[in-house]
Amino acid sequence: MVTITYRDADIELDENVYDPAEDSYLLADVAIDVAQDGMSVLEVGAGTGFVSAVLQANVGVDLVATEISPFAAECAKRNGVVVIRADMFGCFKSGTKFDLILFNPPYLPTAEDEKIPGWLNYAFDGGVDGREAVNRFLEEVTPYLSNGGIILMLISSLTGMDEVKMRMRKQGLEVEICNIDRDCFFEELMVLKGTLKASEQL
Amino acid sequence: MKKDLMDILACPICKGDLVLNITKEDEKEIISGTLYCSKCNEYYPITDGIPNMLPPELRE
Repeated sequence: MVTITYRDADIELDENVYDPAEDSYLLADVAIDVAQDGMSVLEVGAGTGFVSAVLQANVGVDLVATEISPFAAECAKRNGVVVIRADMFGCFKSGTKFDLILFNPPYLPTAEDEKIPGWLNYAFDGGVDGREAVNRFLEEVTPYLSNGGIILMLISSLTGMDEVKMRMRKQGLEVEICNIDRDCFFEELMVLKGTLKASEQL
Repeated sequence: MKKDLMDILACPICKGDLVLNITKEDEKEIISGTLYCSKCNEYYPITDGIPNMLPPELRE
């Protein structure tokens, strides 16, 4: 059993679950900066639970996570994350609101013949243009944001940042780039912050 | 799962309310049981403390 420690959180890994990598560390760091005590937080697609566990260890948030893979859901639970097996926001009552929603999407452009069998495919397959999950998330997220609520989404230069930013604005989100990691050798990673303008509240 | 999750959970098909049925719990949480939607006549299992709210076609 492999366990990693990061910013006061111990996270157990699982061979059937995508291991935390540069993208996970980047999102966790930004989440700690943005989150405040008492915020209600949702992480969509928790994976091992790394980002949620690190955030919980550092900020007094009230956090739940969704995860589609049974292996990842069990792993996240072992790491102390309140997790629900669900497809994005499918499990929530209408009117459920979060102050902060975190998403490290599957963002790699993936052709039909590049898919892998099993649940692990959900961890990276972003469809042909890499934006399938990102677009669906953005279409569904705003009703679940509280007034002035924030999303933090990890994006790679491979995913097409301009298109993603445009879609965020279309959903009534003010967009900021929080952090850019240029050290990855084949892509640039960044966290996009979207804040819901009060007038867009649904 | 903790009981207070019931405040935010809905049937993923019709978004309606669910009926909680507990078969095993400890002092901290519900370990196993079901969440039932009477409108869709669908049971969502709780296993090892994790509610499985996937619609039937997305389950294993």
